[in-house]
Amino acid sequence: MASVELKDVRKAYGALEVIHGVSLSIADGEFIALVGPSGCGKSTLLRMIAGLEDISHGEVVIGGNVVNALTPRERNIAMVFQSYALYPHMTVAENMGFNLKLSGVAKADIEKRVAEAARMLALGDLLDRKPSQLSGGQRQRVAMGRAIVRDPAVFLFDEPLSNLDAKLRVAMRTEIKTLHQKVGTTSVYVTHDQIEAMTLADRIVVLNGGNIEQVGTPLDLYRTPANLFVAGFIGSPAMNFLDADVDAENGQPAARLADGTIVRLDLARQVKRGQAVKLGIRPEHFVAGDTGDTVVGGQTLVVEPTGAQTHVVFTLAGEPVTAVVDGAFPARHGMPFQAAVAAQQVHVFDRGTGLSL
Amino acid sequence: MTDMTAATYARPAPAKSAVKYKSPTARGRLPVLILFLPPALLLFTLFVILPMGEAAWYSLYRWNGYGTPTEFIGIKNFTVLFNNAAFSQALINNGLIILISLLLQIPLAIWLAMMLAHKIAGVVAFRLIFFLPYVLADVAAGLIWRFVYDGDYGLFAAVAGFFGVATPYVLADRSLAIYAVLAVIVWKYFGFHMMLYIAGLQAVDRSVLEAAEIDGATGWQKFRYVTLPLLASTVRLSVFFAIIGSLQLFDLVMPLTGGGPSNSTQTMVTFLYTYGVTRMQVGLGSAVGVVLFVICVTLAFGYKRIFMRHD
Amino acid sequence: MTDTTSGIKMTAGTRLYLYASLSLVACLVLVPLMTTALGGFKSLGDLRVNPFGLPHQWVWSNYTDILFGERYWRQMGNSLLIAVISVFLTVVVSAMAAFTFAHVKFFGSAQLMNYFLIGLMFPVATAILPLFIRIRDLGLLDSYWGVILPQVAFGLGMSILLFRNYFRNLPDELFQAAFVDGCGYIRFFWYVSLPLSRPIVATVSIVTFVNSWNSYILPLIMLNTETKYPWPLGIMVYRGEFGTEWQLVLAFITLTILPTVIVFFLAQKHIIAGLTAGAVKS
Repeated sequence: MASVELKDVRKAYGALEVIHGVSLSIADGEFIALVGPSGCGKSTLLRMIAGLEDISHGEVVIGGNVVNALTPRERNIAMVFQSYALYPHMTVAENMGFNLKLSGVAKADIEKRVAEAARMLALGDLLDRKPSQLSGGQRQRVAMGRAIVRDPAVFLFDEPLSNLDAKLRVAMRTEIKTLHQKVGTTSVYVTHDQIEAMTLADRIVVLNGGNIEQVGTPLDLYRTPANLFVAGFIGSPAMNFLDADVDAENGQPAARLADGTIVRLDLARQVKRGQAVKLGIRPEHFVAGDTGDTVVGGQTLVVEPTGAQTHVVFTLAGEPVTAVVDGAFPARHGMPFQAAVAAQQVHVFDRGTGLSL
Repeated sequence: MTDMTAATYARPAPAKSAVKYKSPTARGRLPVLILFLPPALLLFTLFVILPMGEAAWYSLYRWNGYGTPTEFIGIKNFTVLFNNAAFSQALINNGLIILISLLLQIPLAIWLAMMLAHKIAGVVAFRLIFFLPYVLADVAAGLIWRFVYDGDYGLFAAVAGFFGVATPYVLADRSLAIYAVLAVIVWKYFGFHMMLYIAGLQAVDRSVLEAAEIDGATGWQKFRYVTLPLLASTVRLSVFFAIIGSLQLFDLVMPLTGGGPSNSTQTMVTFLYTYGVTRMQVGLGSAVGVVLFVICVTLAFGYKRIFMRHD
Repeated sequence: MTDTTSGIKMTAGTRLYLYASLSLVACLVLVPLMTTALGGFKSLGDLRVNPFGLPHQWVWSNYTDILFGERYWRQMGNSLLIAVISVFLTVVVSAMAAFTFAHVKFFGSAQLMNYFLIGLMFPVATAILPLFIRIRDLGLLDSYWGVILPQVAFGLGMSILLFRNYFRNLPDELFQAAFVDGCGYIRFFWYVSLPLSRPIVATVSIVTFVNSWNSYILPLIMLNTETKYPWPLGIMVYRGEFGTEWQLVLAFITLTILPTVIVFFLAQKHIIAGLTAGAVKS
């Protein structure tokens, strides 16, 4: 087990730079998720940590050693691939023991360690099968078994669940979490699915266009997004954004929407009167009814029941805005909808820089 | 939203890296190259590329193959070649073989492939029988047919005798021999082309044919307007093989006629063997090689560029 | 399979037409082969008056003389030896070269691949005289290597192409996983690429074997001693020796093509697939 540190890491293909200087410290035993839209550079970053991709500039440090020139094996990392990348001609046991065999571990020792990993992942009955005889979830577990058998310094996961169907994905998510709690190995997990990142990670790194947007615990990112990008990326359904100008009401900070509606803001917001801002309100922070710091309303456009909750899309200042209300709420298309929002739940971003205020 | 963030987070220019690290992904490349490439490179250069280059060189000399070639005669070998009646006959024969392939062999192959596409009993057996001549050695096939054509013992003699006509000595007849050879070529190679078309037909989407049927197409119309256009790439491939095959033809002709009688069944390669190899006229033989090479390369490039660029 | 009848039952007329046409062509293919095999059982006189039918008297000695003689087995053995060594060399040499083209990035890789592809464009006959002189100067004339080396070299273009295309289609992540597991290029080749390449090894082997087994022009030019002749050469000599004693020649032909026919019927699926795929994919 080891800590991982990235120091101003960059990746360039010729003149085209795709990772623009990423610095990050990962503590020993921590579970870090790299999230971001496709093309944000998260996989490239992971592959640079792995040693599958050359590092154009900067340093990667694992367990106190600069590993830039080392091969994946010398870095002592293990990786779980999106397609699992199991060797089709080897049995499950051979797949899991392959790297031990390559490093000359005694046969009896390999068998012992494979058996141990298989027990941990409930693969005991499948050791003699070939990958083609396994289901998707079983293959996934073999890929993880292959990684834990060697007791690596760092686990790397490259979108390991994206080839599974929705139900299996949730189950495997739990298994990965349980596994990490058992073995406690430092893990870096790449995903484009923010829910996966939120549920699994100790800390999340949000990447966009080759830059880190924000690093923090899942709740940090949810509660205090540093900028518009993180605010819009984390949370489902996504945060509503509304253009507004800062004003004051009864000596309290407030913002005026395009249609003149006043939205009260928290006292702690660093805003100036007349400043052009974007307000961010999470759909789940709307409370149906007319009691609260700010009460807004508009015509109901769309009603999407999901069972426990209902998503209501209504117009506010000419924009469609989503609110999540209780499943029992009698929303109907075309009817007026009224909801309140607390002042401290209203996020304010500078419209020019996008930074949270 | 994205345009805002892009504007906001303009980064400082990258500082120069203090230390240059070796690339971990490049490590081990050199040993594998040094170990894996040279055997192939050596064999190929020594026995394919150099001989070809030497053929071009020798073709400018008169040489019997001993010592080093010294008697430089320029392009004389080529002028001799193109004024030689036997070589002209060889060129004509190669052309004839290509023509027969196009007019007889390929239609036959398509016809058989279409019939074998029906789900009837015995399809597999027929397919095997038709492919059988292709796996036999050319030499064996040539000898078998030499017997068939034999005027004293062969099948032709028997058939002629049955009808009470004079026994034809087909392979000894200047004007008939080449057609006898052509028949053997078709017999030997139609199965290979048929297999290509069977593979091509398997790739044709059945629902397209059903759509044509619903549009009211008859059997022939379905073939003419649906199946054949969809087989176009296979046809081009099959024509290509027929051409290349005809240019190399040697093994089949030797046991049948050896290029005779009076050079009437020479092909370019049998000509090369008869005049170049057996008489050790290295210069002349190499000149034939060069001509053959030029034709092959021109065809390979030209044909692929013109007809097969979409395949 | 494309079925032009689209599942509708075909008429008796169509059926008759199909079987009649197919049987006619099958006869044209089989009659020469059958008369050859039967001819070997006849006496010369019998052959003269009755080339088609069954022998009046079965003359087994034509066949048994050959089978108990040394000549036939020696020729078969020579052909087998040349073919086996050629297959082994072709597979090993071309798989290694193709592996570097598929997996190792190096300067000039594409150009070098094209260099090998030149070999696809012309037959061995074009360079046969310089090849003869080269083999002679190397002192390999009248040895098996004089046949094997040029044969392997001329097969490299296609074999490398087939192997390279196959290796390239192996998933990239497999290579990365092996790299993470601690494989270098050579161990990856040995532990992963080769075991996964059985289908293409089979294709290349079949094509090379059949070409070598049937090869005539190279041994014709490179070999002088009759005891070293492979069977296509030997059969021509035999026919030269026995001239018009067709019954012996026919028996000899039958016995020499018998292994081919047996192996073809036993492994027809692989052989047809190998020979057509080998042609189409290159």
